[in-house]
Amino acid sequence: MTTGWHISDDLRDGYLAGTLGTALALSVDAHLGGCARCRASVPYDGDWLEASWGRLETELIRPRPSWSERLLRLGGVPGHVARLLSATPTMSRAWTVAVVAALAFAVLAARQQADLLPAFLILAPVLPLTGIALAYGPRVDPAHELMAATPLAGPRLLLTRATAVLAVATPLALIASPLLPAPPGLSAAWLLPSLAAASGCLALSNRLPVPIAALAVGGLWLAVVGTGRLTGGWLAPFEPAAQVAYGLIVLSSSFHLYRLSIK
Amino acid sequence: MIKMSDLTKKYGGRFALAGLDLALGTGVTGLLGPNGAGKTTLLRCLATTLAPDGGSIDAFGLDPADPVQRTALRRRLGYLPQDPGFYPHFTAFDLVDYVAILKELTDRERRHAEVRRVLAEVDLTGQAGTKVRKLSGGMRQRLALAQALLGEPDLLILDEPTVGLDPAQRMLFRTLVSRLGESRAVVLSTHQTEDVAALCERVVVMRDGRAVFDGTPGELAEVAAGQVWLSDAAPPASRVFWRTADGRYRTLGDRPPSGDATAPGVEDGYLTLLGEAA
Repeated sequence: MTTGWHISDDLRDGYLAGTLGTALALSVDAHLGGCARCRASVPYDGDWLEASWGRLETELIRPRPSWSERLLRLGGVPGHVARLLSATPTMSRAWTVAVVAALAFAVLAARQQADLLPAFLILAPVLPLTGIALAYGPRVDPAHELMAATPLAGPRLLLTRATAVLAVATPLALIASPLLPAPPGLSAAWLLPSLAAASGCLALSNRLPVPIAALAVGGLWLAVVGTGRLTGGWLAPFEPAAQVAYGLIVLSSSFHLYRLSIK
Repeated sequence: MIKMSDLTKKYGGRFALAGLDLALGTGVTGLLGPNGAGKTTLLRCLATTLAPDGGSIDAFGLDPADPVQRTALRRRLGYLPQDPGFYPHFTAFDLVDYVAILKELTDRERRHAEVRRVLAEVDLTGQAGTKVRKLSGGMRQRLALAQALLGEPDLLILDEPTVGLDPAQRMLFRTLVSRLGESRAVVLSTHQTEDVAALCERVVVMRDGRAVFDGTPGELAEVAAGQVWLSDAAPPASRVFWRTADGRYRTLGDRPPSGDATAPGVEDGYLTLLGEAA
């Protein structure tokens, strides 16, 4: 834009000295914005201006929380933990697997399929392992090497992520349980084996890569179920004595994990 | 400050580290060596992302083989891996902020201030809000360097940090790293001998998992003393040579016909030391 009028030397000097009144200074500002000739007569430090804009830009740029991060914060999760959990694609995958599996069971259970109960009880403890295996490790996380050298990497990060997966998967599976064609006690018999498998996997992951630990624990669980079927029927691994054993595994693994996480 | 003793690491039947002994102190140490010499394996062991099969590491009195001391060591190091890997949907700010959380900077305001500081250090302030997938290779490399600088670590481990940087960015990198090396231990691996010559007060040349040279860049250059020549006529085709800007031929090894001796550089020393393995 060009105009016929240009700021006088007095006006310019007053503007540069900062002695003009607000209204007049803003008018000069507005004119400078549209008049290249007057703008050229006002000296400025280009480097300083660029650096200042850069600083201002960075001040204005703050991470925009995703819906999942906002949801976690609303649920009382500390801001940095919410960000840690919601930011990475690996967590989204793990959550998706957990949710899809739990919902699939709910749908199948609602259809009252006759053979569903054994399948549900046997597979429910294995599913969280899949989520955990997807939550941490070089094969599932593109930035794993970058993150692995940080103090939070290892048991603490894995535990945080696994807890998040379990916090979603377990309540959903609990909701699906009453839909099963079985007495309430039996339809929830998967819970302790599931927690034992998950905590056992996490405890083992201090010694083994997470997917290997998940495979080992999953394989062990299927071996237990297979042995039960051969010896005393498929319900044997869900009877009270076995449940006590799972409870003890949960307690000892949790204690081990607690010790690891506070180190 | 940092001492590695009899370090071994084996992949299949091949030793990536074969009884390496190395001590690092304050200053910039450059690791040179051909592909497969063990540089990255060494840096990964030092960064605690890979456990050696044998030997020991003592860094600031901490033993990374012990889980508790490993975490304590991680609080004191910054690491730029060879292949950092990024979440492409993150902005530059998001990525560094995420690593800052993993480095236990939990207070939001303090963390954001630190993120801004390291982005400014690598001249990425203007790209803070840009998605990682839209950054150029050089910008991503600077972003990877930025996250390594979080928390002003005592030990900075940089695996091929100048890959993808243009000349101006390399100058910026050299300025930054040489300043950091004044007060902390910086170890970097590179194929760029000119970076070593410009930056490092010490250079270690590795081959087959061992350190075959440990000295100053000047001492490495001296390995080729009396073996670098400039001649007007092209040396025999069997020799490695190239034509310089002034039209003469530069060659390494025995004196070519009418060859004039010239001062060796770090690259000459490196090539002489490793021979065909280079």
